[in-house]
Amino acid sequence: MRPGFIWAVILKEARDLLSNRLLLGAVVFPALIFAAIPTGIVAFIEVNELDPAQLGQIEQYLSQFPDLSPKLAAQGFIVLNFMAYFLLIPAMVPMAIATQSVIGEKVARSLEPQLATPMEVSELLIGKAIASATPAVLATWGVFLLYGFVNGAIADPALTSLIFSDVWRVAMLSLVPLICLLSVLLGIIVSSRVSDARTAQQIGGFIVIPVIGVAVAGFFSGQASFNMQQVMIGNLVVALLIGVALVIGNWIFDREAILTRLG
Amino acid sequence: MISAVGLGKRFRSLTAVHDLSFEVGDGEIFGILGPNGAGKTTSVRMLSGLIAPSEGTARINGMELGAQSQAIRAITGILTESPGLHDKLTARHNLGYYGRLYGLRGANLRRAVDRYLGVVGMSDAADRRVGGFSKGMRQKIAIARALLHEPEVLYLDEPTSALDPSAAKTIRDFVATLRDAGRSIVVCTHNLDEAERLCDRIGIMRGTLLEVDTPARLRRRNGTASVSVELVGARQPASFLDLLGDLPFVEGARVVDGTLFVEVTDPRGDNPELVRALVEAGARIVAVREEAVTLEQVYLDMVGEVGERDARPIGEVA
Repeated sequence: MRPGFIWAVILKEARDLLSNRLLLGAVVFPALIFAAIPTGIVAFIEVNELDPAQLGQIEQYLSQFPDLSPKLAAQGFIVLNFMAYFLLIPAMVPMAIATQSVIGEKVARSLEPQLATPMEVSELLIGKAIASATPAVLATWGVFLLYGFVNGAIADPALTSLIFSDVWRVAMLSLVPLICLLSVLLGIIVSSRVSDARTAQQIGGFIVIPVIGVAVAGFFSGQASFNMQQVMIGNLVVALLIGVALVIGNWIFDREAILTRLG
Repeated sequence: MISAVGLGKRFRSLTAVHDLSFEVGDGEIFGILGPNGAGKTTSVRMLSGLIAPSEGTARINGMELGAQSQAIRAITGILTESPGLHDKLTARHNLGYYGRLYGLRGANLRRAVDRYLGVVGMSDAADRRVGGFSKGMRQKIAIARALLHEPEVLYLDEPTSALDPSAAKTIRDFVATLRDAGRSIVVCTHNLDEAERLCDRIGIMRGTLLEVDTPARLRRRNGTASVSVELVGARQPASFLDLLGDLPFVEGARVVDGTLFVEVTDPRGDNPELVRALVEAGARIVAVREEAVTLEQVYLDMVGEVGERDARPIGEVA
């Protein structure tokens, strides 16, 4: 594995992405929207008196924050509950970039000249994977930081502490990059089988279903957020899925298959 | 130097190329002519280390295909059938990317990019995105990309397609200078005129190389040349046919539109004797010309013959 080749691919992909405003928007806007919705609710709660009857409906969640006032506990529940949706960004965004990248190459027939260089297929794929995953990881981390500090500023610094908890710091540093990688690999695999980016993204979009499922299940199980054990299990499951995707990707993306099938 | 022995490629039950054996020396331009699906692209992909042959071996500048394919790719330049550029990048960034993949860095990279943008006449458009380029401009950038790392071996698939005559001549002249610099060059083309003008030797391909020779020798593939003899006077040209039939070096003769056409094996040696015999028999000769057999005729004859004769499945893979 030669870093020079991988870096060249990353640089090229970054230039490509920066020149594609639509795709660049697709990286940043979902993250901002996922953060804006709960932040808006927190602001609404901050400026409005809550009806005790409404608070009673979510009492089981509020009891998870015994040190906070009912109002702050409600805000804490909101910010933590929506954080599962932060995992949608690494699931969705890298796939959009990866499918656009691979299908763009197929349409432009630009894979052959790249594979005619001394670069290995694995170096090309790793470069593409890093280039596709990095914007989503950075966007997620950036919005995570913004989310923590803005909500702390709107309501109370206690919210910042809840958001930047050990569980979520570990999730951001491990689960987010792993989901990004899985998303990229699935994007590449799906792209090899279809001929337009939209179809690839629609098929690949199924990856978000387990994430939404986890978030909804968390809500109905009475948990405001994940615990450390769940994050670790999540890491393990996603890592296993990455292993499977790597095996499939390696099989699909040998040099000859790319040239004779993908062109 | 390129040396292939018995090279072949199968895609499942489909044989794209078989028994491909030929050599291209240093400082030689070798043309491959063949119809669509003849295996030209597959052959180039095998020789440039892009795909593995199913059978046979090849050595490129002494390096063995397969075991040293990565090293072979490093000394090889390839102009693919389709330019395959990155539309969102500028011409300079496209070339810069490939320069890095071929190991160029820093000032060397910048110098190479500027030089080859100049060679193909695209310096003025260097900082424009290639997505807005015409077909010819894209082809020029693809040619610059193939040359950027000063490859020792060069494969050019239809190098002047989409180029205007002036740009095509510039590229042909430049390819000729690369030959003079000792590079081994393979040109795949449908342009018979270009093949004839540019190539030292030509291989006619349909699944395998049917014939390899210089353009001049290919034109005399059937061993004879046709000489036209234009006569004036009262005697009919047909009255000389019996005389011509008795001459030992004449392979055949016929009259078409009042002109005698005589088949001889060696026009330079036989024509003086032919003229002498006709004049002695009373012919009044106005002109004697050697009728050129075009490469196109040879190509069509050969590909047509094989098309009728060879039932081997040749796929559209290439």
